[in-house]
Amino acid sequence: MGQGKSRVLNQIRQLRFAHQEMTQQMLADRVGVTRQTIHAIEAGKYSPSLEVAFRISREFNCPLEQVFQYRDSATPESGAQ
Amino acid sequence: MNSSFHERSIWIQLLSLIGVLGYYFIAAWRMWESGETQIGAYVPLFISTVVLLVVVQVVAHIAAALISRPETPDERDRLIGWRAASRSAWILAVGTLSAITLMVMGVELFWIAHLLLLAMLLAETTKLTLQLTDYRAGL
Repeated sequence: MGQGKSRVLNQIRQLRFAHQEMTQQMLADRVGVTRQTIHAIEAGKYSPSLEVAFRISREFNCPLEQVFQYRDSATPESGAQ
Repeated sequence: MNSSFHERSIWIQLLSLIGVLGYYFIAAWRMWESGETQIGAYVPLFISTVVLLVVVQVVAHIAAALISRPETPDERDRLIGWRAASRSAWILAVGTLSAITLMVMGVELFWIAHLLLLAMLLAETTKLTLQLTDYRAGL
């Protein structure tokens, strides 16, 4: 946080749309964070804690790695945020 | 992206601090210019300032809560707050050490008290500004 784009990529926006067009507010209410936090996560500007990441994954019934990916220098950029 | 209740709360705190304590310092300056240097003479003004600050913040927060649903600060809000606090704490430390130095030098209590108050105001407004900067940056 605070150092530009996060290295943690995510598919939250796509998953929301795939789950009956869930809104950011709906996801935020279910996960227990603010809508602005969900927005910051989707924009790659904030990396959630492990607990919040697991909660998000649980809402989509997906494994954590399907929702979040870590980009290091060896990993090509893939998957839109 | 519209702002969360917590961000609006920070705006309320920042603007009320600047407005109300700014008024205090202006009024205190005028009292000092008129020749009043006894710290006791400033106590009623200070007490009324604190009461005014509390009233302004309570009313403003109630209004903000009526406009939109208040939310409990989440992990991102807490992190932004801790980050801002750690980056602004040095201001209060400098002010406190300066006040101690002035005490040792025998400077009047009037100046020491107002230096401490000014340090608190600067530290708090800096912290709040840093929080708002992070929020506006979308962090």
